[in-house]
Amino acid sequence: MSRRRTRGTIAVTYFNIERHDDGPMRHDRLVLILLWRELVAGLRAMRRRDLAWIAFGGGGLLAYAIADIVIARHAAAPKLRHDQLLWTLGLPLALAVPGALAGNAVSELSLQRAFAPFLRALPLAPGQRRHMAGEATLVLAAPLVLSVAVSAGLACAVIGTPLALAWGLGAAILFAISFGAAARWRLRRPRVLFEEAGSETTPIGRPWLRRLDRARPRWLSSWAWKLPGGHMRLSWKLAAACLLPAVAAILGAWASLAGRTAGPAALAGLAGGILVFMLSLRCQPLGSPVLRTAPIGFTRVWLRLVRLPLQLSLAFFLLPAGAALAAEPSAWAVPVAGGFWLLVLNGAYAAFGAYFLNAPFVAMLSFAGALAYAGYETFEYGRTVLIGLAALVIFLWHRTRQRYRNG
Amino acid sequence: MDEVLTVSELSAGYRGRIVVRGIDLSLRRGDILGLLGANGSGKSTLIRAITGQIPLTGGSVAIDGIDLTAVPERAKAGFGLAIEPHELPAPLSGRQYIELVASIRGCAPNDLPSGDLPSADLLERLELGRWIDRPIAEYSLGTQAKAAIVAALLGQPPLLIFDETLNGLDPVAAWEVKRVITALCASGRHAVIVSTHVVEAVPALCNRAVLMADGRLSRRWDAAELAEAGRAPGAFEESVMQALRMRTAA
Repeated sequence: MSRRRTRGTIAVTYFNIERHDDGPMRHDRLVLILLWRELVAGLRAMRRRDLAWIAFGGGGLLAYAIADIVIARHAAAPKLRHDQLLWTLGLPLALAVPGALAGNAVSELSLQRAFAPFLRALPLAPGQRRHMAGEATLVLAAPLVLSVAVSAGLACAVIGTPLALAWGLGAAILFAISFGAAARWRLRRPRVLFEEAGSETTPIGRPWLRRLDRARPRWLSSWAWKLPGGHMRLSWKLAAACLLPAVAAILGAWASLAGRTAGPAALAGLAGGILVFMLSLRCQPLGSPVLRTAPIGFTRVWLRLVRLPLQLSLAFFLLPAGAALAAEPSAWAVPVAGGFWLLVLNGAYAAFGAYFLNAPFVAMLSFAGALAYAGYETFEYGRTVLIGLAALVIFLWHRTRQRYRNG
Repeated sequence: MDEVLTVSELSAGYRGRIVVRGIDLSLRRGDILGLLGANGSGKSTLIRAITGQIPLTGGSVAIDGIDLTAVPERAKAGFGLAIEPHELPAPLSGRQYIELVASIRGCAPNDLPSGDLPSADLLERLELGRWIDRPIAEYSLGTQAKAAIVAALLGQPPLLIFDETLNGLDPVAAWEVKRVITALCASGRHAVIVSTHVVEAVPALCNRAVLMADGRLSRRWDAAELAEAGRAPGAFEESVMQALRMRTAA
């Protein structure tokens, strides 16, 4: 410390920010330090039992999944090596889409730290904050790109593709390009800044959701959806969220009516319905002391939070289901089964959404992952695997209920 | 039943680490308990345990004769907690928040005590009226505290709990809230817990006080002791500081 002082430096040990009297404050690594501290604090806050479950249970599952994939790829190696569609379209898409999603998520994570409320008082220009976030995004991208390179290279080696190393490198470059493009796009438009400015112009008047959100406990959906004063603001995100399922429903209905078959519309209704439910379910009020110290049980709050998203999901399902029925009236069981499975999947996702109450994106990813894995294993071992998925859903619901009751 | 709160041999904490232990406490209707203690002494943990936010590792809590662990929903109907301002639902307006709490408690949104001014509107007296239709996110800390206090008073539950909520109020609002608290307890139907760092405010408002140190109740003052300590200026602060010093020395 004394040596540092002689060099004209004051060290603030908590954030590791060093201020040089003869130069600007060094804060480039601040976002990374904050993320690291959050990770450490999160791990320390977990019980050892839970950590052991994650480490050994998750590690075991991952090892099994890797072994399973290696064996499956090895068995299908000749077919995979000569699949032109896979190498020209499938693989690039499988790398570019996750790359863009990861770039968007990582840069958003870094931006949130750079523009954190407790840092507002610091003399940092928005450009500097973006720079800090950009550096953190770059550092976090490195291990991701490396893991993509190793995974792709190993996968190519397993199926015996020539130049496996080059394929791994190419995959990493493609992933890095899409990651970088998405991150750059997000970093140039720090949404957090615009949201802050927008909150000052909150409209006053009758909230749009007044009638829909009147059931007891009142205003729970407005709270869950973070609508300021119950008012819904139009945004490109909301428009896209409405437009995409609507286009899918119309295309599905058109395909069914043109082909006189119920299948496409019923499938579009099911997929769109679950998508609407996943996008609209928000459960963060379940963690609030406002509800946890109130005379209201977990199940009632959970059902109330699920209610509006479920109504939206079913309302969406009705159009394609009606088209399916009109296209092939004799196959009425197809849309009925679609509706039944929509209810089952919505119920299962509601447990995931409640468990990951502050991270809906993680809930969506986990649900999609669990569903895909259960589907894959079901093809291999039969329908009994679905019992495992059902057990997981019940376990998550039970843990969330325990957390609501006991913290 | 006179006892609104019965805490027996309570111990509680976070993730296996016990923070408060061996707490015995009972509150009768008419009691206003001042909960004192240094930062980290366990005041907020005790309140979280009493309000069912963290599990008990030992002992029991009964609110108005109803066991908190056995029937939490029924027991929670017996108290109103002023939520910490940062934990309020920021997107909702003050009115929506009050309607939310009223709909949970099964009472009207205007079912509020009015202290010794039966016709007066508590929202207006706390100067909350002009903010009531704006999102809570836009409120100042003091205004958020006012909204939390109003929500705690909804339905006039027998036990009211204020965890350092009174500290952030402006003088007029603080005076109004104290007047409501005094009137409620004088009616003989309610009891109040006020957790605070403002030691000098305790003799004027409370008729009982406890001091927490290292997760235990280290000193108690009954009504007579508190009245006696409150007579001479600074006497109560002196006795609190003495108790804290003795604890530190031990």
